[in-house]
Amino acid sequence: MFVILVYDVGVKRVNKVLKKCRAYLHWVQNSVLEGDITESNYIKLKAELSKIINTKEDSVVIYTFRLPRYNSRETLGIKKGGEENIF
Amino acid sequence: MEKTIYIFSSGELKRKGNTLYFETEENRKYIPVEDTGEIMIFGEVDINKKLLEFLSQKEILMHYFNYNGYYMGTFYPREHLNSGYMILKQSEYYMDEKKRLELARQFVIGAGKNIRQVLKYYNNRDCDLEDGLKRIEEIFTSMPEIITINQLMALEGNMREQYYKCFDTITQNQDFVFEERSRRPPRNYMNTLVSFGNTLMYTTVLSEIYKTHLDPRIGFLHATNFRRFSLNLDVAEIFKPIIIDRLIFSLIRKNMVTKKDFDKNTEGIMLKDKAKQVFVQQMDEKLKVTIKHRELGRHVSYRRLIRLELYKLAKHLIDEKKYEPFIANW
Repeated sequence: MFVILVYDVGVKRVNKVLKKCRAYLHWVQNSVLEGDITESNYIKLKAELSKIINTKEDSVVIYTFRLPRYNSRETLGIKKGGEENIF
Repeated sequence: MEKTIYIFSSGELKRKGNTLYFETEENRKYIPVEDTGEIMIFGEVDINKKLLEFLSQKEILMHYFNYNGYYMGTFYPREHLNSGYMILKQSEYYMDEKKRLELARQFVIGAGKNIRQVLKYYNNRDCDLEDGLKRIEEIFTSMPEIITINQLMALEGNMREQYYKCFDTITQNQDFVFEERSRRPPRNYMNTLVSFGNTLMYTTVLSEIYKTHLDPRIGFLHATNFRRFSLNLDVAEIFKPIIIDRLIFSLIRKNMVTKKDFDKNTEGIMLKDKAKQVFVQQMDEKLKVTIKHRELGRHVSYRRLIRLELYKLAKHLIDEKKYEPFIANW
């Protein structure tokens, strides 16, 4: 499935959350990542993130799409990150 | 589905922040390791042992190619699906002449039927391939008389020869005439494309074999020897016509690759980097395309199809179900 993950966490934990997310998803811009993920990796990622964040202060929102067919994606301005597999 | 990473530029690939990181002079990027299945390296890439350890741990294969795009080798991580039983079974089927022939025959039948399917497709569109189809059909009729592997190899060679004769009619492009199959080095544009495509196909199948219990060193149609993997060559035979050849035809017919994309040097004719990138990108997309699988009743990608083929083979080896090759029906 396809997911978009956005986070807003305390400054102490920003790096930890970012690092964890980068192992599963493509970085798009500050606090936003997206990418294809398997069902099992999705559960793994959620579990690992909940260990890092402080549930009283931080917030992570994950949008999931079963198929990317019904959404479109537009960028205004520069492209900061995103998916790439040919370098 | 796990992705393939292709690297053409020069830089350093390393482990960073518990994921993969690729850095060049102008570009730096994290690659999600959990979403990576294999890495194909065409450029000058620096790696270190720490990275290899990480790839091993994450069960990611790394294939590398030389400057000319020839396959050089694979970093094949420690087997994670270690099955002595399967190796014994594979050897048993290899050593028994009759059992080996039966399997090898299936690979040739698969290749032949898929070749026929490709020709039929273009015959129905805008090419007159009746003659070629007829000749292949004729060669096919002698299949039951085959009793040795060598005869089988000869039959396969004949079939391919007839098949390659049809290429010019399909591409309808003077720049890409086939003439005859030439390898190491390929001597014209068409042969260069075929060689490059086949190389990609072999490595893709090898990556899928790694995810099964099968041992890539024991092939059936292609003899097992001291040098190279051979099971991936066998299974690739089935998919070459429907994946690689179709890809080549569409690249040429849509002018995505032209004669400007080639370099002539002493090593024969080589593809330029830009064209290699177009090729792998199209190949990557092709492998992700899903089709309705009749037996399973659900959609599977071409890449998955390769894995299913290996599972069928494994089932044959443990005497559970006779192996029948995948035949495209469109």
